[in-house]
Amino acid sequence: MRSTTLLLLPVLLLIAACSGGADSPPTTTDSADSPPADLRIAVGGENPEGYDPTLGWGEYGNPLFQSTLLQRNVDLELTGDLATDWSVSDDGLVYTVTIRDDATFTDEEPVTAEDVAYTYTTAASSGGLVDLTFLDDVTVIDDTTVEFHLERPWSTFPARMATLGIVPAHLHGPDYGREPVGSGPWVLERWDEGQQLIVTRNPDYYGDTPHFDRVVFQFTDADATMAAARAGELHLASVPLALADQDVEGMELVAAESVDNRGLSLPFLPETGEVDHNGQPIGNDVTSDLAVRKAINYAIDRQALVDGVLNGFGRPAFTPADGLPWGNPDAAFEDGDVDLARQILADAGWQDTDGDGVVEKNGIEARLEIAYRASDLDRQGLAVAVADQLAEIGIEATPKGMEGSESFAVAPNQLVVFGWGSHDPSEIYRLYHSSLAETDDIYNANRFSDPYVDEQLDAAMADMDLETAYHHFAAAALGPDDHGYAAARQAPWAWLVNLDHTYLVDECLDLGPLQIEPHGHGYPITEGLSRWTWSC
Amino acid sequence: MDVELLTPTPETTEAPRPPSPSRDVAGFVVRRLLHLLGLLAGVALVGFVLMELSPVDPIDAYVGGDAVRLGEQQREAIAERWGLNDPPAERLAHWASNLVRGDLGTSTIFNAPVTQVMGQRFTASLALLATAWVLSGVIGFALGLVAAANHGRHLDRAIRWTAYTLASAPTFWVGLLLLTVFAVQLGWVPTSGATPIGMDPAQATLFQRLHHLILPALTLSIVGIAPVTLHTRTRALEVLGSEAVLFARAQGDSGWGLIRHRVMRNAAVPALMLQFASISELLGGSVLAEQVFNYPGLGQATVRAGVQGDVPLLLGIALFATVLVFVGNQVGDIAQRMVDPRVPVLGRRGRR
Repeated sequence: MRSTTLLLLPVLLLIAACSGGADSPPTTTDSADSPPADLRIAVGGENPEGYDPTLGWGEYGNPLFQSTLLQRNVDLELTGDLATDWSVSDDGLVYTVTIRDDATFTDEEPVTAEDVAYTYTTAASSGGLVDLTFLDDVTVIDDTTVEFHLERPWSTFPARMATLGIVPAHLHGPDYGREPVGSGPWVLERWDEGQQLIVTRNPDYYGDTPHFDRVVFQFTDADATMAAARAGELHLASVPLALADQDVEGMELVAAESVDNRGLSLPFLPETGEVDHNGQPIGNDVTSDLAVRKAINYAIDRQALVDGVLNGFGRPAFTPADGLPWGNPDAAFEDGDVDLARQILADAGWQDTDGDGVVEKNGIEARLEIAYRASDLDRQGLAVAVADQLAEIGIEATPKGMEGSESFAVAPNQLVVFGWGSHDPSEIYRLYHSSLAETDDIYNANRFSDPYVDEQLDAAMADMDLETAYHHFAAAALGPDDHGYAAARQAPWAWLVNLDHTYLVDECLDLGPLQIEPHGHGYPITEGLSRWTWSC
Repeated sequence: MDVELLTPTPETTEAPRPPSPSRDVAGFVVRRLLHLLGLLAGVALVGFVLMELSPVDPIDAYVGGDAVRLGEQQREAIAERWGLNDPPAERLAHWASNLVRGDLGTSTIFNAPVTQVMGQRFTASLALLATAWVLSGVIGFALGLVAAANHGRHLDRAIRWTAYTLASAPTFWVGLLLLTVFAVQLGWVPTSGATPIGMDPAQATLFQRLHHLILPALTLSIVGIAPVTLHTRTRALEVLGSEAVLFARAQGDSGWGLIRHRVMRNAAVPALMLQFASISELLGGSVLAEQVFNYPGLGQATVRAGVQGDVPLLLGIALFATVLVFVGNQVGDIAQRMVDPRVPVLGRRGRR
């Protein structure tokens, strides 16, 4: 969220509070009897650099104009979209994909294996937001068959196939992003940058026909979106959690579950005396003690965070993949247990001997900092609330607001509020595998390492069978003895909450069942756009 | 204040003119252009250094936070595409050499030439800026005259009070108030955008455009109204207290006629100066007004460029704004000189 927006929030709240009894404003929407000619939604979705999947368009939610090889259904299972069949070689290095022969781009050219190969090789080399660094080569076998050769086994490659939209090789170029042509359910009618995107139904789409003829995406920030919703100009609006409990006539609130999580990274190494590429010292002598990491995890009352900071819109988080097929439900535990946390600290020798309210051990006081992105009210609220909760067990944690990338950069040495949550299980690998602890990567910046976790994650990435791979991801959480990434084992993170994504939805608009949404409040809800119906 | 000021004769205008005006004009233009070039170089340098010092990492901003499945290798590839791997001095030199050839570079966030982005955005802003500019000048000047004519009465006090309030009210706050009252509660005007949502902007009627323009333009004009009002009032009061006006009153002039014939031209001098000098504030205000009303103009693009560390676009906008403000100030100078003949047009004060 932009900082100007945040400045305006209190004003808007005040105004909204004062205007509760106002007459209902004139609506510009159509009569309630028939579906509206235009479906008007404000959920973001403007991609300033254009709608080019090879640069990263479609990473979250619906690529609209393009279709993907695979797709995720509401239960997050992978099913075919363009692909009719896909298989992987025994060594996990070659994926063979067969695509349907009846799909055409909206210029009536057929979608061929050439286009698929072109899309993947272009995306791999374009320096955009699509990370295909594990991809070695793509070979076209015939018109409908393509082979992907990987540099290393990457079992979550199919998750990538569910987000990368296929572009027509014969039309793709530098201007493609502003004139996208694809084989997806929607066609670009017009894009007025900074203002609106209008899409219409693709009459030749091979899949199920969407219910609406025309969808208008309005690009407004939180304040203007709320004003437009109150003025009756919208059928669907993404609203910030802080404004979500307001009544808007004719609309109801939908709180979609997500794995858009927030968690505290806990530095894993003791102070090494070394610094990273940013000059940040590596390691922290307080959190390098397993007892401290566990005590932090047990002391935090996550439901209190949900109620107090998120306005009630969220659920406690115990792993970065709560509720996902590769998550581990057994990693959850009874939290907010201050006595247990104190006991763990005392058993490990952390005691407040000098009576200053902060525990110490071997002359080291348990004083920490929690860095958070200052422009994000939710992260600020979480940092402040967690600091209060930790004070009860004698750990002093001082919240420090910073610019986003600055806050992430202190992770090797201090606590940082991060937000993750992806439909791609490789996120678990990136967060917990020790190979990333050696790098300056934003992933595993707290430098966690556990041979057992590595073993499970390596097995997961190399397993050709997705079900078994998911099983390995889940097993990495809880291993034998002290091994595993869960709080009950090595506790390298204190996961806090999963946000709900809140939307105001016209009473007549039926969104159907919703996916557990990934990180990013707003656009991901359009995943089901083609299934939405009008129920009045 | 003397009488010549109010009724200038042709002699006084001609008298200070130097013998060969054309050479002077050329010299004047060259001097001012050199001045502008120096200014542009300074703005570019300061802008670039500030962006370098800014904690915003353009790649982080592009990636959009923490939850994107990008490895370090891919981030390297992005930096490579944007040329961020070169040392800062080299990047600035590269940018400057392209600039000389008229190439402002490619905006990183819009993935399009900076000139194209700016052209598109400025076209949208132009109507807003021009309307707000004219509104603030006309309303401010009129209020100032009315206040002066009613000196000491309730109306004068009301206008002064309004001007002080406007001068101290932040643009975005005024904008939100207007938005809430007129767009949300009364529903008289739309809440955002430059043309109706769901429609081709080219098809929008003039009425629809004005309908969308009125609230943001009003908000933006508020930036400029107060100073013009207060200065005009003060100047008009000075003139009203002068012997010339006393003389005119003695001759039977009064009311609107007196203001129109004896005061207006004089009071216009500070108003004109302020009006042209206010272009910088207007541009600054448009950043906030466009943000509140979601008006897809240059102000909105400026915010994005700043927040996401788009160096080429931000520098391009800074240079463009510099030229605009500079030209505004020059025109203000010249206009003032034409209205007030005591000031020599070509700026040779020493000859007076």
